[in-house]
Amino acid sequence: MNKHISKILCFFLAGAITISLAACVKGPTTGGDVNTRSNGTGDKTEKKVTLKLWHIWAADTETQKKPFEQILKDFQKENPNIKLQVDAYENETYKTKIKTAVAVQEAPDIFFTWGAGFAKPFVTSNSVLPLDDYLKDGTREKISKGMFDYFIYDEKIYGLPMYMWSAVLYCNQELFDKNDVKIPETYEELLTAVKAFNSKGIVPLTCGEKERWPGMFFQNILAIRTAGVKKCNEALSGEASFNQPEFVESAAKLEELVKAGAFDKGAMALTKDESEAAFKQGKVAMYYMGNWPAGSFDADDSPIKGKVVCRNFPAITDSKGDANGFLGGSIESFMISSNTQAKEEAVKVVKYISEKMSEQASVVGFGMPAWNGEIDKSKILPTNAQIFELVKDTTGYVLAWDTFLEGADADTHKSLVAEIFAGTKTPEQFAEEMQKINENKAQNKP
Amino acid sequence: MDRVLSDKKAIIIFVLPAFLLFAAIVIAPIFLSGYYSLLKWDGIGKGTFIGVQNYIDLFVNSSEGFGKSVLNSIILALLSVFVQLPLALILALVLSSGVKGENFYRTVFFIPVIISTVVIGQLWMKVYNPSYGLLNTFLRGIRLESLQMPWLGDVRTSLLASFVPIVWQYIGYHMLLMYASIKTIPDEIYEAARIDGASPFKMAMKITIPLIRPILKVCVIFAIIGSLKVFDLVYILTNGGPVHSSEVPSTLMYNTIFHRYMYGSGSAMAVFIVIECLVFTVLVQKFFKVEEFTY
Repeated sequence: MNKHISKILCFFLAGAITISLAACVKGPTTGGDVNTRSNGTGDKTEKKVTLKLWHIWAADTETQKKPFEQILKDFQKENPNIKLQVDAYENETYKTKIKTAVAVQEAPDIFFTWGAGFAKPFVTSNSVLPLDDYLKDGTREKISKGMFDYFIYDEKIYGLPMYMWSAVLYCNQELFDKNDVKIPETYEELLTAVKAFNSKGIVPLTCGEKERWPGMFFQNILAIRTAGVKKCNEALSGEASFNQPEFVESAAKLEELVKAGAFDKGAMALTKDESEAAFKQGKVAMYYMGNWPAGSFDADDSPIKGKVVCRNFPAITDSKGDANGFLGGSIESFMISSNTQAKEEAVKVVKYISEKMSEQASVVGFGMPAWNGEIDKSKILPTNAQIFELVKDTTGYVLAWDTFLEGADADTHKSLVAEIFAGTKTPEQFAEEMQKINENKAQNKP
Repeated sequence: MDRVLSDKKAIIIFVLPAFLLFAAIVIAPIFLSGYYSLLKWDGIGKGTFIGVQNYIDLFVNSSEGFGKSVLNSIILALLSVFVQLPLALILALVLSSGVKGENFYRTVFFIPVIISTVVIGQLWMKVYNPSYGLLNTFLRGIRLESLQMPWLGDVRTSLLASFVPIVWQYIGYHMLLMYASIKTIPDEIYEAARIDGASPFKMAMKITIPLIRPILKVCVIFAIIGSLKVFDLVYILTNGGPVHSSEVPSTLMYNTIFHRYMYGSGSAMAVFIVIECLVFTVLVQKFFKVEEFTY
């Protein structure tokens, strides 16, 4: 009896191992499956299509998650012949994943991406579909001017905008009132507030510098204040030099903030989610971040509901820059892989989700809508309403530098800001090495 | 059974599937990486052939500090050999001498080895957290508040702080190897030594350790190679930061390829790590020239 049992177990084990081996073998590398099923009557065949879609709103803490999933559900209901296989990933890991997928020609049919420098390698390697021909049906007119800017490469449009983001300084009004501190309007008042909070043992500004881009936001907005929107955009495009006193000043002011103890002691080991959680629990006085989490601050279970006041980053008195410039822009979109088997359907999906996300952006509050349309003002949450008011009088936008710059340059920039945080480089060195990026770019031009 | 083992054809047939897999998944990519390391390539578009320039750049003017990262991995190798292995050896010696609960402790010490590195990374990140982490709370509890630090966020402590979990995780693994080896030593030798009046310490030093030299050699090789190519825990805990203070070659390679779009340079790093490991293996083999003890 025992011999039989052990023989049977052996067979099961061998079978299990073989089956798991078969699962390791890659499936077809093409994007979607197309089964044509001809419709008896008309000349248009009702194609049953499966499209793969990737996005970055995986965690429940992402404000866009619920609206996006609802939009996908609605789309499926209205279009039963298009099946969507959806995968969501965390922000930082997604950046690596999508680059790898595109590199090995295994990008999904539809994928989330940032435009400008981030998506440039995708365009130059012909991995994404130009959309111009599909937008001639009136779609272009539905979208506000200027929203396409960062999705146009060589005068062709590759992605549809959804919404525009801008960064604001979130202030916990309760902490300010309790400790008798004024919400800062100028940089000097910011330093005063920092000192006041530190003396009470409260972290003034939280920053998840482990991911390097939250800290970069500070240098970027300071550059808008010291050098102005126009100069920043010129320097980023390589038309002006980074090695100018204004940019040195932006790094110097950041260094000043770090030395004054404005950020959490362990900022360099904190992820963005950890730092945001600290603000959400009312432990930190200020948080400078894009408008994406604004909606979650007003959620019913949020400890800081009703306590958040939004301001633009403080102005620097007597500076040549823009006191009213904002960090932000329309940089998030969905692009279509050029390998997709179902181009028409994929474009349909992208048009739908872009328009709907634009609608939801203002209501739920993760951005300003890029598509023209009626915004139901009554549905807008309080924190978002504040942000909309703030950006009304803006004098211009600059994108976050790591989305504008390409590849290695974006990484170099983030590292340089991190070195200012760590105190291992001086502001002068920062400006010099940023300029090296432009010099290398010029050298590599054909 | 003997008929099968001595039939060359049978051997080849049975080994073939595994060998093909091994060649395709392990050997071929190493040669491909060798080829890629001679290119300047962003991983997506076309690449240009630049010969050994990548290798020269690694050491002459590496903007990312490749040389320093190699040094960091060597520091980890030294820590592994001189801290992790002795600890494992002591545990193995104690456990194999027949303490109560021998099986229980053997299992418990081995558990960190089988826990996913991501879980261990997250666990230690919470231990090191400056505000509510176990370590700083403990320091506050024993009145050493001044020693509190942002362990993973400070350039001075990030390297050693990220090495502690790595060393901790694999103590059980080496302990198990040594323990198994110690158990094969026949009791008669110990009995004879006891009759001659040897203390447990003397027995350990003069009998046990010399007789398990082969397994010690294996452990040293595993420890060194594992340290030279460590990735998971460093990536999760610090990602090489802050500002490259805890950078090791594999995290640098990963960031070079995926964040800096420099596939050729990253491949050169990968090839370097492979060659480095081979060199160290040969060195350790030479150092441990083992005479087979028969008893």
